[in-house]
Amino acid sequence: MERGYWIKSKPIYTSLVWHEKATSHLVLASGIGGMAALKLFQQMHPAQPVTVLYARYAQMEVDYSETLKKVVPDNLHVFKFEEDLLTELKSIMPHMRMGLRIYVAGSEGFIWDVAKAVKPFGVDDAHIMKEQTDTLARNVYCVHCKAVTKSVTTNIVACCGCERMLFVRDHFSRNLGAYMGLMVDAESPGELPAIEEIYP
Amino acid sequence: MALNFKQESFRDDYTYKNSPEAIKRFPFPFPEDQYMYSVNIEPHTKGKPGSVYEFPFDIDEHYVAECHDRAITLAEDAGRYQALPHMMDAQWDFLELAMESLSSDYPEHFTLTKNGSIWTWENKPLGIHDTFTFGDSTTLPREPFDYMGRQVQGDFVLLDQRDETLYADAGMVTCQADWSLAFNVGMSWREWHGPVPKATELGVMDRALKYLMNLQLANPVRRLNWTMTVNPRLDTSPENYPHWGGDRNKVNADNVSELIHLRVELQSLFRLPRSNGIVFSIRCYLMSLKDIATYPRWAKRLHRVQKTMHPDLIEYKGMTKFHPLVVEWLSQFDDGADIGVGTQPE
Repeated sequence: MERGYWIKSKPIYTSLVWHEKATSHLVLASGIGGMAALKLFQQMHPAQPVTVLYARYAQMEVDYSETLKKVVPDNLHVFKFEEDLLTELKSIMPHMRMGLRIYVAGSEGFIWDVAKAVKPFGVDDAHIMKEQTDTLARNVYCVHCKAVTKSVTTNIVACCGCERMLFVRDHFSRNLGAYMGLMVDAESPGELPAIEEIYP
Repeated sequence: MALNFKQESFRDDYTYKNSPEAIKRFPFPFPEDQYMYSVNIEPHTKGKPGSVYEFPFDIDEHYVAECHDRAITLAEDAGRYQALPHMMDAQWDFLELAMESLSSDYPEHFTLTKNGSIWTWENKPLGIHDTFTFGDSTTLPREPFDYMGRQVQGDFVLLDQRDETLYADAGMVTCQADWSLAFNVGMSWREWHGPVPKATELGVMDRALKYLMNLQLANPVRRLNWTMTVNPRLDTSPENYPHWGGDRNKVNADNVSELIHLRVELQSLFRLPRSNGIVFSIRCYLMSLKDIATYPRWAKRLHRVQKTMHPDLIEYKGMTKFHPLVVEWLSQFDDGADIGVGTQPE
């Protein structure tokens, strides 16, 4: 990649840090993202109420639920899959108050699933702290048929909707929670560059 | 003066043509022999009679055909129109601005009658006649922006101003130079301009943003942007790239002057009164190299600009495949004479 190459729509993820001025905290983690949640409790145990939702199975099967149970004082909810966690998240959001801070750790797909779930409750993604763990895999939005192909690890992927071969651009839409996929061989049908795993 | 609206197509058989009058008023975008991105924003003030700057929204001989092409594109892909829910005030702002401008600038074609909040809009070229209550969407056949966006040439994006930036929170985009509204809707200024090479490093985008955040009501601004398109195709969207991308392979030395069109966007921005949003209007003009060369001064200028174009920009604008053919064809007009500064045809 050329030096200085940087597309500004691509989000930058950081390590989770408690917001000390919050009135309550909501931590959402999946798989190996459980480590990021544990690290939060290494920083401190906040005085304000903390709720932790944890999904045990993500891309990588690393389960921190037993350790989390020892560290999180109360309000730890463990789920098997991310889908179950997201359902619970939507059901508890109406009970949350002003001053809530949200922290999320997991794959990029999980991070933006969470952002989408809390958006209807007036939470802008700029106010969600995000740590990417687990995998660099990308969700790819097909600009032609609008289908989203999940967990893409390669530079080029067959669209799950229209089967066109898509080049995965670095251009990211927070609204869709996905990178743009553009047909790679429209100008020269059948001529594909080498397909490589670059988002392991 | 009444306009003669043409019957023509921007797809399939491409019957689009420019009259000599349309060529003469073409907003040629190169005042100097070299081109680089700059914050080339100026006040969108009234220009000479007959010029594309005479009125806030320029209506020309292609009006009916363009509205027809837009309707086809929207019927095939509803995603070309997007409006996030908080943009309803801005939608009415847009409708008001467009109806008032068109009816006052082109009274023989458009009329607006107000009786309190009961408005009657007549668009003669498109055969539209509707009475509705301003502010009440249920009295229009579509949402206000969707309704009126279909009746003005050019693409429109409604920008919401908050958190020290501008968000592209609504749009009607059917004649775009390869960017996707469905993908970009909801993006902030920086995100949306992310893929533009060089511009970010030059600080162009940050300066333009600062300028636009201070845009005042009744003081619109404009700039020109450009690219090149194979065939007079309005819908060069990424959505339909599989349909038009292959056209780039059809260009050769014999047909380059007819196939390649200089695509100029007259971009203008208007502050909106209720929503404090901004209308970003992107009005597209297409001119074949052959028509441009009817004015030797333009042909010389275009040759010099293209010959010295930075390779990154050629790539970004999707011109890599046919660019050498363009430069070669234009070179026949360039005797090297000094033609001074300015975009005028003669």
